[in-house]
Amino acid sequence: MTAICVDHLVKRYDEVVAVDELSFVVTEGELFGLLGPNGAGKTTTIRILMDILKPDSGEVKVLGRRPTEAKERVGYLPEERGLFRDVKVLDTLVYLAELKGMPRTAAWGRGRGLLERVDLTEWADRKVKDLSRGMQQRLQFIASLVHDPDLLILDEPFQGLDPVNTERLKGFVEELREAGKTIVLSTHQMNLVEALCDRILLMNHGRDVLYGHLDAIKQEYAPNVVRLRSTEALPDLADEIPGVLSAEPDDGAVNLTLAEVVDPQDVLRSLVERRIDVREFEVAPIPLEDIFVRVVGGEER
Amino acid sequence: MDWRKISVIARHEYMTNIKRLGFIIMTVAVPALGILGLLLATLLGGEAQQIGEFLARQFEGSSQATGVVDASGVFSPIQPAYKEDFVSLESEEAAAEAVEWGEVSAALVIPEDYVETGRVVVLTSGSGFGVVEVGDSADVRAFLVDHLLAGKVDEDIRQRAARPLRPEARVVSGGETRGEGPLSFVFTFVVPYVLSFFLIMTIFVSSGYLLRSVATEKETRVVELIISSVRPMELMAGKVVGLGAVGLTQVLIWLLSAVAFSGGLVAVVAAAGAFVVPTRVMVLGVVYYLLGYTLYAILMAGIGALGTTMQESQQLAGIFSFFAAIPYMLSGFLFANPNVLLARILSFFPLTAATMMMLRLPLAEVPWIDVVGSIVVLVGSIPGALWVGAKLFRVGLLIYGKRPTVKEIWGIVTSQG
Repeated sequence: MTAICVDHLVKRYDEVVAVDELSFVVTEGELFGLLGPNGAGKTTTIRILMDILKPDSGEVKVLGRRPTEAKERVGYLPEERGLFRDVKVLDTLVYLAELKGMPRTAAWGRGRGLLERVDLTEWADRKVKDLSRGMQQRLQFIASLVHDPDLLILDEPFQGLDPVNTERLKGFVEELREAGKTIVLSTHQMNLVEALCDRILLMNHGRDVLYGHLDAIKQEYAPNVVRLRSTEALPDLADEIPGVLSAEPDDGAVNLTLAEVVDPQDVLRSLVERRIDVREFEVAPIPLEDIFVRVVGGEER
Repeated sequence: MDWRKISVIARHEYMTNIKRLGFIIMTVAVPALGILGLLLATLLGGEAQQIGEFLARQFEGSSQATGVVDASGVFSPIQPAYKEDFVSLESEEAAAEAVEWGEVSAALVIPEDYVETGRVVVLTSGSGFGVVEVGDSADVRAFLVDHLLAGKVDEDIRQRAARPLRPEARVVSGGETRGEGPLSFVFTFVVPYVLSFFLIMTIFVSSGYLLRSVATEKETRVVELIISSVRPMELMAGKVVGLGAVGLTQVLIWLLSAVAFSGGLVAVVAAAGAFVVPTRVMVLGVVYYLLGYTLYAILMAGIGALGTTMQESQQLAGIFSFFAAIPYMLSGFLFANPNVLLARILSFFPLTAATMMMLRLPLAEVPWIDVVGSIVVLVGSIPGALWVGAKLFRVGLLIYGKRPTVKEIWGIVTSQG
């Protein structure tokens, strides 16, 4: 089942093309990362999914329906976010849930439950403006899911959060995924994307530049370097093993740079054939941050 | 349009705004003023008559003295009863100077042959309106008649010739004739007029709340969350209904307290007479109230969405407040003649129609064509306002960080879709 299906989506503002022939799919129950530099078109895409903006062309389906009809089952934490300052905490949650079509009494119960979940129960009858910044951020987050949505779209949810609150929120997001919710996460914090997301879409200039499983993308962009650790002194492997271009000692291990066409598995086989005592052999990971900079930076050049 | 969501929004707006300090103060202040006025009337007792006449006089225009240059000899010396309002001047030059310096509001230059010709030169500053005013003034007439007949006729006749009519208003309603006593003028004209005035104020206060509500929701960014749940049109409709109900609540409290005071305390304050607002004025007042509010509220919603902060939105709304103020600026003329041409023209202009008519209705029989015409204009312009307002609202809500230029606003209004 697909939670979101975007097909050849185009959105223009006057002369500027904000989203340009964008296509992607989010499957049900996954945690999907929507990445890209500022101005890449992420927020515009999200606003179209939320039926705040209308597309110029292309097809958009949310939970199998048109965005207008899906609104009530989608939760949204906007990047530009805030709450009524003069309204009480619980009343805010109840009002927002009612706007999503939830009956008042059900909204009341659900609001209380969520306030307890984020330790704000004692603040239920206080005005929003009396809350500290951290508390307001927690309230904003639960406000996006007070109506128990099937799909949750979080635009920069970690922005401005301190490390403790970031950790709490991360835990909450993981909990929601385990509960079977589909989550779209847009953020600049690559470490969190690596920790949380199954698949990602990297946008730049309104188009997709990278799209797929995080592991597959990382593999594709991994520099052909393997890290080898052995108990014995190693000969100069660059001469001995076919396909190894250079061998650099690094903190008791050796980094082997391979020729582009060479499969690390072949190198491992060669090492074993030569009876070299292999204790560790791993394809060096590339941080998502590096891929981001390389892809987006490469495009800018 | 999802009516359930509109009602949720309306209830939220109503509950939030009715608790505002500004609303509570305003709602209580008006009846409090009423109580104060009645208490004063009670305390002053018999003097209430003078107060009533004094109040009535205040609405008649300027109370400054009039200069008299008398060459005929009929008006010298000035009789004691007129000493306060008329002053004798030496010559036409002195009179011109006094008028120019504002020492007198106008001067009558009476030539030697006045008794034969009736010719009088009227000196006023500024426009020609002053001449008309002086010529029409009952005080000037009385002054002339009194001096002409002094010593020639019997005292009673002289007084009747000077003031042939002392009107006493009695209002016929529901088969009953009420409104005896000197305060009846105040209660039949001034009170409904003041009530109209407050009704109009409520229109602007309510649409001001609306402006504030939209602008702060945009400023705090909560609006993006809301329009991801409801359509902008639904949000706008909910706000217009909810804040309209806030205004109506206020009006209702005022009306009820007015009825309570006039009904309950009238026994105590016999001089107060009856509080009478003709049914026609009341019904039409409510109709204009609703139409005027709807028109302004929709425009305010659109404008509120354009500014990036509350202050900016208020500045943008300033132009509409100016239109709203026009009928007030004309109040002076309206008391003289509620059916003056300019007032009639403004009754057919959408932005001033409701307020103009509300000010005219208590003062006189307004031609039915004006009533029908202004209602048609208002009803007809509301869909147009809705179209423009909704567009500004929808687009304006998501423009953060900068205020759109006039050109951009025009672009939004004229754009397709």
